[in-house]
Amino acid sequence: MRTTVSILIVVFTTHVLHAQPAKRINVDEFPAAVIDDVVVPVPSEVFVVLDKLGSPNWKSVMREDNSKPSEDRVQTALLLGTVIADGFIAVQAGDAEAVKNTGRTVLNLAGAIGVRKSVIARSNSIIAAADKREWPRVRRELDGALQDVRNAMIELQDEQLAQLVSLGGWLRGTEALTLIVSNDYSKDGAELLHQPGLLDYFDERLRNMSPRLRDNALTSEIQTQLATIRPLIDTKGEAGISSESVLRIRDITSHLVQSITSREG
Amino acid sequence: MKARLLITTFLALAICRSGAMVDDALSFAYEAANPYVAEGFTVREEAWGGDLEEGGQKGIRHQLFKGNEYWFWTATDVEGAEVSVHIYDSQGNLVEEESWTKERFSGARVVPKQTGTYFLLVKVEKSKADRTAWAMVYGYR
Repeated sequence: MRTTVSILIVVFTTHVLHAQPAKRINVDEFPAAVIDDVVVPVPSEVFVVLDKLGSPNWKSVMREDNSKPSEDRVQTALLLGTVIADGFIAVQAGDAEAVKNTGRTVLNLAGAIGVRKSVIARSNSIIAAADKREWPRVRRELDGALQDVRNAMIELQDEQLAQLVSLGGWLRGTEALTLIVSNDYSKDGAELLHQPGLLDYFDERLRNMSPRLRDNALTSEIQTQLATIRPLIDTKGEAGISSESVLRIRDITSHLVQSITSREG
Repeated sequence: MKARLLITTFLALAICRSGAMVDDALSFAYEAANPYVAEGFTVREEAWGGDLEEGGQKGIRHQLFKGNEYWFWTATDVEGAEVSVHIYDSQGNLVEEESWTKERFSGARVVPKQTGTYFLLVKVEKSKADRTAWAMVYGYR
């Protein structure tokens, strides 16, 4: 009996020793090579929280999709990101036709930047799932479309352009978030804008782009405006992000999305 | 059956950010995630991975949102190896609600108290291989 208990204790102790992580680490002491980039969330990670906070009027933040490819690949990449974010918004709104339109537009824009083949299956799946109103599947396919486009671009040595797809998605997702939160302000809703790591990540990516991409009128404008947003998303302790800040971020992101979607390429 | 099909589809399409395919490790990571799909977790198709020596660590910064619940799963394809994942806030405090390690699999769950940047720490706890391939996926609900 005594032997059995001892063995159990040894086994348990061994397990605990393996399982016990440090209660605290010094993040600043990690060498840069050990730290990977920031994980950019998909829009639905934010939208799911908003749904829990209330019943947002998603229809009110939808926009008419008349996105056409531009001769400017920077603009098309950014546009592709915004359209995929629109797809997530249309899912929240339960608008099957808008989702199907997103599927078609994604294919069209992907074609303009040479990665059409990589998203044909996704586009068809988005349309098929929207027809059946299988919203969780549509979300997965949109997430997958974003991934496929980015991976295809990376394969074509266009990683910087791939980052612009993510940036476009983030801008449109943030615009939608601010539209919802400014319509019915709550501290919890506003806190979803607290994304300093992501802003720093995008800023760094833009700064390190090739001169050709960095000097593009759109990327220059976005970089300038990201710097304006950065202090607005500080939570300032208990006070959180104010309704004024939400409105200001809404105006900035709306203006940027407008620039991306309407500029003649 | 549906979940299995879904996971198979994920496997066929997911690519690690490092650019290197760590197919088997990734396949095991999705295997770890599989039971959670039925509990309502949406598992992202994007995956992270690479290879590390025994005792080696990799930090991944991650934007998490208060109001969501997250599970992170890691796995390795090296038999007998152990890879762990733990979750820290921006101040370096351990914030996970629970974590587990079982054979080649591990997982950690967090319900963020605040929206912001978090820090995931992946570590090869033990391995006989010179380099141990690992992969990480996550889900949210």
